[in-house]
Amino acid sequence: MTERRNRLDLEPDTVERDLVKLVLTVVELLRQLMERQAVRRFDEGGLSEEQEERIGLTLMLLEDRMAELRDRYGLRPEDLNLDLGPLGPLLPRE
Amino acid sequence: MTVVERREIALVDLLDRLLAGGVVVKGDITLRIADVDLVRIDLNALISSVNEQVPSPWGDSP
Amino acid sequence: MSGLRYVYAVCHPYESPLQRQLSGVSGAPPKRLTHHGLVAVVSTVPEHEFTEEALRANLEDLDWLTATARAHQQVIDALTAVTSPLPLRLATVFRDDSGVRSMIEAREEELRRVLDRLAGRVEWGVKVYVEKPPESSDDSSGAGRPPAKAVSGRDYLRRRRDQTRAHDDVWQRASEFSDRLHATLSAFAEDSRMHAPQNSALSGATGQNVLNAAYLVPRADSEEFVELVDREKDDVPGIRVELTGPWAAYSFAGEFSEDPGVES
Repeated sequence: MTERRNRLDLEPDTVERDLVKLVLTVVELLRQLMERQAVRRFDEGGLSEEQEERIGLTLMLLEDRMAELRDRYGLRPEDLNLDLGPLGPLLPRE
Repeated sequence: MTVVERREIALVDLLDRLLAGGVVVKGDITLRIADVDLVRIDLNALISSVNEQVPSPWGDSP
Repeated sequence: MSGLRYVYAVCHPYESPLQRQLSGVSGAPPKRLTHHGLVAVVSTVPEHEFTEEALRANLEDLDWLTATARAHQQVIDALTAVTSPLPLRLATVFRDDSGVRSMIEAREEELRRVLDRLAGRVEWGVKVYVEKPPESSDDSSGAGRPPAKAVSGRDYLRRRRDQTRAHDDVWQRASEFSDRLHATLSAFAEDSRMHAPQNSALSGATGQNVLNAAYLVPRADSEEFVELVDREKDDVPGIRVELTGPWAAYSFAGEFSEDPGVES
């Protein structure tokens, strides 16, 4: 019998990895949304220098943290995504 | 410019023409947990709430 | 004979036999079923594979889908060499011969109209891709070095902003280019259809697909159409144009491109 792709895999570490992938995808969505808003505010000049520095550092650290978490589970950036069918991918595919 | 020869026809191009609604890739997630529909609804609510009307977490402009 | 009837296409009667030994979908060679002067090209396929329920599962199985799509395409290709077929969607299935005949009878006028429309025409596919813009780098140390990390919070925001701007510029140009290209090609072709942008995870293509269109062109005008695409593609940086074809007029089969399914 040929093995179908996307067959449910009940190995515990894969279950955990898939859950982590889902969670990190949501976190990545939030990170991108926050970053986009921050960059927009930065561009419009609506932030004080101190705010720019603080927010920029936070985002930079957040990006590093995400990279660490991905590495720990052997996930590439492109693995963190969801296909919402007619709505297209959750996150941009660049 | 690429003119694709007959024998190299890409599956995606073929499926575009053979299936109604094109092709949706389900992705690597093999679990059927967190019903994708549920997640979709939640995230849509989140996305629509992040707009100009929502108070900025950065505080007001100086 | 038991089993369901898988219909690949409808066409006018043709003389020459189909070109090669075709295995057909599910290993079932295609046969002609003539009714009211129209020909349905049909394979008898196992019920357990093609009922609506079985199809729903099979259509999500990439291996099954690939094999079936390729077999289907082979038959359409062979038909295109001897006539201008009206291709049907994948898995257009009927209960038996009588079901196929009923369909032909019920939709005879429409079938003839579309067949006339497609006679002597082929389809060309044009796709436009936006390639990933180069990493914006204010690192002046020259090519080959990865961009240095941001040195401060403000620097990080600045870099992100510059990347976003560069990215938006490329998208703006790609969008304008696609619109222009589509307008030009539509003016030359007899008809056009837009397909959804392709998912690079499935196609393996680099960059993002922004235009995925099909153009209906008389066979005799194909060479000119190809030259036109070549001329219009313009070497715009970061934008790639791909041409595929000639296809049978899959995208122009009108209502016959709608949802298939098992009909009684």
